[in-house]
Amino acid sequence: MFLEKGRISNFQLSVLIIGFVLGSSVIISPGGEGAGHDAWIACALGLMEGLLIAWIFTALTKLFKDKTLIEINSLVYGKILGNGISLLFIGYLFHLSALVLTNYGQFFKLQIYPATPKTLSLLLLMLVCASTVNRGIEVLARCSLILVPIIILVVFTDTLLLIPHIDLNNLMPVLDAPIGKLLLASHGAASFPFAETVAFLMVLAFVDKPEKGPAAVSRGLLIAGFILIMAVARNVAVLGQMAEITNYPTYLVAQVIDIGDILTRLHVLVAISLITMGFIKISVLFYGTVLGLAQVFNLRSYRPIILPVGILMVILALTNVGNTQEMFDFVNKGYPIYAIPFQIGIPLITLVVAKLRRLPQKGELDA
Amino acid sequence: MIVLLLIGFAFVAIWELPALVRNRWWREIILFMVLWSAGFMLSVMISLGITLPPISTIINKAVTGMFGW
Repeated sequence: MFLEKGRISNFQLSVLIIGFVLGSSVIISPGGEGAGHDAWIACALGLMEGLLIAWIFTALTKLFKDKTLIEINSLVYGKILGNGISLLFIGYLFHLSALVLTNYGQFFKLQIYPATPKTLSLLLLMLVCASTVNRGIEVLARCSLILVPIIILVVFTDTLLLIPHIDLNNLMPVLDAPIGKLLLASHGAASFPFAETVAFLMVLAFVDKPEKGPAAVSRGLLIAGFILIMAVARNVAVLGQMAEITNYPTYLVAQVIDIGDILTRLHVLVAISLITMGFIKISVLFYGTVLGLAQVFNLRSYRPIILPVGILMVILALTNVGNTQEMFDFVNKGYPIYAIPFQIGIPLITLVVAKLRRLPQKGELDA
Repeated sequence: MIVLLLIGFAFVAIWELPALVRNRWWREIILFMVLWSAGFMLSVMISLGITLPPISTIINKAVTGMFGW
């Protein structure tokens, strides 16, 4: 029995990936920590690493068409070990979705609704995501078709309106950061957000033309990467050294926009970007978590566990970190290392083992 | 707060369980109950002011400690 009957096109997959990558990165500049005014270079290098990681996991889905990582693990490692590895991966998806929720909650508490309890804003977002996940991957992909173009337009409009405030001297001298720091920052940018697209190992099985899936993933990553590099360079060019020390540079930059005292307070558009792109990212991760759990425990539908998993996600989001600084410490220092086994380790080892065992054998893909 | 939690969790159970029981989807019921109970217990602990360990902070300390950052 198929847990997911929906199918998405390669174009929808690309747009979904753009929304996913923009996710919370739309307000937190990736690669900002350590690289200083070379953050955009770190971001570009991170994109290259992200593309390499995407090549690994899409190679896996090319080998096992119409299979999610959970099913691939069972075929490659056997039922027990495969399910054990799958549970680790599901744990990562669950933790990551809670982390994005935490991000969202901290931003809203600090910048938008300081008097509103964090629990309420997290619960509301979780319910919207749960409703989307309940309707399946097709609905999520269609949502992204509407939301992502709007947000891309917002990012470009913000950038155009900021042209009078851009000082290119803030980007000079180029490649000033020590190479070690630059590479660390670029790996940080790769792990958050580019390589997080490894979550699409739970989605790629539902693409209508699987042979074109890898190209769609790369296309989505390249477009999202270009937007992020542009946003990071713009932030540094406008804010200078402030871009590195502020937590939400894109939000701060949007506050600078003032066109003849008429077009002001456009930072609310940045907040809207976070809500919409955060919604897409959390929904994809949420979907991967419940679908994965349903496949591991051989359920007939993932829908009954959506709400309990969503509640646990909100609880983890509330208790994930002690305060905002701890969250940024984790994102910049611990996370790039912590994510390696899930973003590179599991897909790469699974691909190597599958090749060594000459999998999939005839008939296995139809099972 | 506890009353609100009870109402919320009872609503979730009433929303999901009857159809599962009617269809005799026992595996789904078991997993639902495990996750639902974990969520309920953790929510009660939070509402009673018990501090749960911050997982990301613990991971961060472990990783940065390992690499001496």
